[in-house]
Amino acid sequence: MLVAKLIDTTLCIGCKACEVACQEWNDQEYTLGTFDGSYQTMADLAPNFWNLIKFNEIEKDGGTSWLMSKYQCMHCADAGCIAACPAPGAIVQLANGTVDFAHDNCIGCGYCITGCPFDIPRLSPKTKKVYKCSLCSDRTAVGLEPACIKTCPTNCLTFGERDEMLRVAEAKTVELRADGHKDAGIYNPAGVGGTNVIYVLKDAKAPESYGLPRDPTIPWTVQLWKGPMKWLGSFAFIGAVLGTFFHYVIYGPQDPELHGHKDEEAPHD
Amino acid sequence: MISPEIRIPRFDAYERVMHWMSALSFVYAALTGLAIWSPKLYWLAALSGGGFVIRGTHPWAGVIFTAVMGWMFARWAKTMGLDADDRVWLGKMEKYATHKHDELPESGRFNAGQKMLFWSQVLTALGLLGSGVVLWFPESAPRTLRLAAIALHPLAAIGSIAGIIVHVYMGVAAVPQSMRAMLRGYVVPEWARFHHAKWYREWRDANTLQKP
Repeated sequence: MLVAKLIDTTLCIGCKACEVACQEWNDQEYTLGTFDGSYQTMADLAPNFWNLIKFNEIEKDGGTSWLMSKYQCMHCADAGCIAACPAPGAIVQLANGTVDFAHDNCIGCGYCITGCPFDIPRLSPKTKKVYKCSLCSDRTAVGLEPACIKTCPTNCLTFGERDEMLRVAEAKTVELRADGHKDAGIYNPAGVGGTNVIYVLKDAKAPESYGLPRDPTIPWTVQLWKGPMKWLGSFAFIGAVLGTFFHYVIYGPQDPELHGHKDEEAPHD
Repeated sequence: MISPEIRIPRFDAYERVMHWMSALSFVYAALTGLAIWSPKLYWLAALSGGGFVIRGTHPWAGVIFTAVMGWMFARWAKTMGLDADDRVWLGKMEKYATHKHDELPESGRFNAGQKMLFWSQVLTALGLLGSGVVLWFPESAPRTLRLAAIALHPLAAIGSIAGIIVHVYMGVAAVPQSMRAMLRGYVVPEWARFHHAKWYREWRDANTLQKP
């Protein structure tokens, strides 16, 4: 059974309780940030900070308003990080859809950072391994909801069976359209096979204004590397080994006695 | 008859050290690279401490390899230029592979095949270095560059490793005595005349071994 986290951006009040809950449950050390004129806690995600409420400022009707987004791992069905990861078992996809990093197997190459279309994983300079939201796999495994869901005071965040979450999201967009938000919709991008973190957006036609990519996909160079290039390489390596071996079997080594210039006089010394 | 006791110096100690430094760093980088390249070859990582260790050591092996390639370039680039005979030789490469040496033009210190290997290794080394540095520091390079490097690095490596497989075959099996040339530095006149006739004559003319 697939699970999903539903983020109804219209209900977010920017309290950041989910950030604190995430830090607490995952036992992350708090890193002091700097105030840079925004209500946002941090400028960016960090190896020890997996969940950032972004205060996306937009100019609308002569005033400034916020579009809240929850910057975190989207737990893609076709995950770019898994496609790019070269270390067997370092990134696993659980039966419930969670994309989880197994740090014992992580070699810290950072390919997942490149493969991720959402720019989520962060390399720790301390442990030299990569970190991101685990969807609280240690909680969901025992039937608990993720820490951020547990703490959200407005029901902006809900968690449950994926189909149910999609139904709730659909009902909410219908409601929003009726309220005059004619572009309201669900963000569940098909390019990565759908995600297990789903958004309800007031303006689904402009996901970029929430800091979400319009059409995230697994990069084609990653697919090239994991697909056709494996064949090309196997062909080249096996071909070179077998080709040289059979060359020896057929023609043997070069031998001046047998293959020399017969018509030329032998050099005199 | 040529006296087999005569030794013609082919590679001096600098060149031998240079060649074997590049060879050792290449083999290490290639084996650890193959481990990262395919999950089916990941067991190779265990030969050198596992995946986490080789993620740290592979780039340094690459740095050593490209540094030695730079040395090799400085020392050999001039010699490796193709002359008119080499171009003819390349057009008839199958004659070389099938031991029809009579139909090939004579070679200098390096034959055209060796020269092509040299230039292909220079080219792939540049590709490996450029893409390798980008992959080494995933959080410092722009994503577009990293995405290009993810495809370019293995592509250059495939070309490079395939070329070296053939090179090793030539050195170990196909051209007897070439291994001794690279390990101990000398060849015998008959070998030199057969494989590198123009180079042999240069040596002969520069030494006192003239026709009686």
